[in-house]
Amino acid sequence: MAADLNRDAYDRPPRAGTWPLGWIEGLGLAALALRRCLGLYLRILVGRGRLDLPAFAWSLRQSGLAILPAMTLVGIVVGAILGHQTESVLERFNLPGLVLLSINYALVMELVPLLVGILVAGRAGVALAVRQAALSVRGEVDGLLITGIDPLTYTLAPALLAMLIMSFAFAVWGSLVTFAATFLWLWLVANVPPALFLDSLSGALGPDDLLEAILKPMLFALLIALIATVNGTAAGRDPLNIGEAATRTMIGAVTIILIADLAIILLVRQ
Amino acid sequence: MSAAAGPDATADVLAEPVPEWALELTGVYQHVGGNCALAEINLRVPRGAWLLIVGPNGAGKSLLTRLILGLDTPSAGTVRVLGEDLQGLSVRAMTALRGRMGAVLQGGSLLEHRSVIENLLLPLRDLPGGRAQQARAARLVIATLRLDGLENHLPRALSLGQRRQVELARALISGPSLLVWDGLTDGLDPAAAIETLQVLRAQREARRLTLIATDNRADALGEACDCIAVLERGHMAFSGSPSELAAVLPERLDLRYILTGRP
Repeated sequence: MAADLNRDAYDRPPRAGTWPLGWIEGLGLAALALRRCLGLYLRILVGRGRLDLPAFAWSLRQSGLAILPAMTLVGIVVGAILGHQTESVLERFNLPGLVLLSINYALVMELVPLLVGILVAGRAGVALAVRQAALSVRGEVDGLLITGIDPLTYTLAPALLAMLIMSFAFAVWGSLVTFAATFLWLWLVANVPPALFLDSLSGALGPDDLLEAILKPMLFALLIALIATVNGTAAGRDPLNIGEAATRTMIGAVTIILIADLAIILLVRQ
Repeated sequence: MSAAAGPDATADVLAEPVPEWALELTGVYQHVGGNCALAEINLRVPRGAWLLIVGPNGAGKSLLTRLILGLDTPSAGTVRVLGEDLQGLSVRAMTALRGRMGAVLQGGSLLEHRSVIENLLLPLRDLPGGRAQQARAARLVIATLRLDGLENHLPRALSLGQRRQVELARALISGPSLLVWDGLTDGLDPAAAIETLQVLRAQREARRLTLIATDNRADALGEACDCIAVLERGHMAFSGSPSELAAVLPERLDLRYILTGRP
């Protein structure tokens, strides 16, 4: 019975945040949830399982449409800020090729993935934690269990898939918008020739870099979804814990995103 | 047929020996927040029997039903449901077992953002059979429990009694062998309670439905009740047939107080 997520996790929720037992339980729950979720995806692929489409549509809204305006605005603002900063640097150091190369690399490899991760955490991650917690509080998890349905079918499974898809899409969209804003600022305000900007872009990023830039937000999405599931489950049946689950998810997700990013820099790029 | 006081005092709730037990609880303990909420619970219910678990608020009735449904794991003891030891079941086996059980929970367990009909069809979701077959089954339980016209309502638009009936319909739609009902008369007006009992009686005749219900009132199941278990502060104060309860009631002041509120 050790691997029964339903009983061991939903009914004896982990002591989230307490060290070390809560952390160990949280890790165990995350591993179990991920395993069950991957198992469900596998069953769906071979035609022996079904994704809950209304829950998937809800998750797509939470991690997609709901974030799109914010992502676009943040991309434009960050792009403009970067353009302004680059202009200032170029006034002091007349090394446009080197400066633009650094800016482009940092933008694609770090800035946009982190922005996507933070926005997905703030909207989709928190929404997933609150949904999970609310389902437990209202007895809906019990309802699913007694009807023989894995609650993950309604929570993590559709949410993770939606977050992966939308993180990929936002990595592309966020890069394009931010690039465009930086490019336009440098061209129209700082009079940097467009050809120079585009040359530095092609020099800054290779295919491996682009792949990493796309995959990183998806890894962040996975971590966010698991943190949200653990915190949502930890809320147990107390309505007061729903808010705490949301807060814990936001803080935990942003922290883990930064740690994961550092780990990638230290381990993968070296 | 006396109150179960120890491991050897397992109470057979029907006098005659029956080969198959729908429920067997042996030495069950449950601790909640460091307190012993259920202690030394021993109970056996044969297939097709109707058991009413009675007790005041906080006696442990809901906790006991959660153990029977496999929603919680007991701190000690074994829970066997329809011949299966819940402790040793894999997730898949537990899911299969739940397919043979139905439940109505006291706090409600409907999906709030799904309509009545979507909630009803949940237990059939992963079962073979097309949509037409599922819709037929849903129509049948809707008509039986007089829920016509509520199919597309969200649960929040229903009264407590209607929600309970939708939960019952969902529990019955897959034709369970065992129905666990926590808070039998909660939210039901007298007419609805009588109608519901008639539906359950029909299910019992059709396929030996075993019913395990909890309530505050000892007469909640009327004459249909085969056995009564009285819980008080997590302990089994009595288990036996209604006639046995009636026989011991004059001598057992504690039971009289639990059941009637009067010494």
